[in-house]
Amino acid sequence: MNLKVDTRSVNNQASMIDLEGEVDVYTAPQLKQQIINMLDSGVYHVIVNLTNVEYLDSTALGVLIGGLKRLRERNGTLDLVCPNPRIRRIFEITGLDKIFDIYTAEQDAISKLDVKEGM
Amino acid sequence: MASESTPSVVELKLPCKPEFVGVARLTVLGIAGRMSFSYDEVEDVRLAVGEACTTAVERAVKANKTDTDISIIGSILGNKLTIEVRDQAGHPIDAADKPQTTEVEELDEQGLGALLMELLVDEFNVESYEDGTIVRMVKYAE
Repeated sequence: MNLKVDTRSVNNQASMIDLEGEVDVYTAPQLKQQIINMLDSGVYHVIVNLTNVEYLDSTALGVLIGGLKRLRERNGTLDLVCPNPRIRRIFEITGLDKIFDIYTAEQDAISKLDVKEGM
Repeated sequence: MASESTPSVVELKLPCKPEFVGVARLTVLGIAGRMSFSYDEVEDVRLAVGEACTTAVERAVKANKTDTDISIIGSILGNKLTIEVRDQAGHPIDAADKPQTTEVEELDEQGLGALLMELLVDEFNVESYEDGTIVRMVKYAE
């Protein structure tokens, strides 16, 4: 039951958080801290890549909502990459698919970010 | 195999700490795997029980009661799986309503766990007792 969190730059204003493993009450604080680190370093456009996430619970949803709120306050964005239908279903049944922009492919999220922000 | 009138019961006791919630989920996978659930239904049960344990842990952290235990009792009777998650963490569980808004600023990030539990199982109820809370969930296999 572990979570691996990696980050990489997408362009000079946006970064990707790659998650691998389980995001739950034990591991979600790692994701929260990473989002805070990005805010602190002036990165306001964040893509969270859930491609390799095997399990995600309400704690993770709460962290993502909190992150989206904080980024929006700075005119930023928090988008998701989620090709796994089982993980995507959690967003759908809670209605959060209407709150987050969720993409099946990483490249789509990056392209849409470029269009949205004119980067 | 148990007869139709005698449930097969699995009991598990865990520390009410974040790092043990995954152990509860693994156990529940094993219990639900004994029944004719689809893959998605087994995942639903895993998530629902994970949420019940998570709310216990979150309340325990707030109430400084992480030295208590969570008891999980899984009972199989025919096509009916009943899982009871009993904690000693006090405080009731509040369920959020399914978000009706598309504005994130209006969104309540609390209570999503109880909402998920309601959505993922066929029967869901919460009962408070002196020391804590009992979440009882039922899922029927086809």
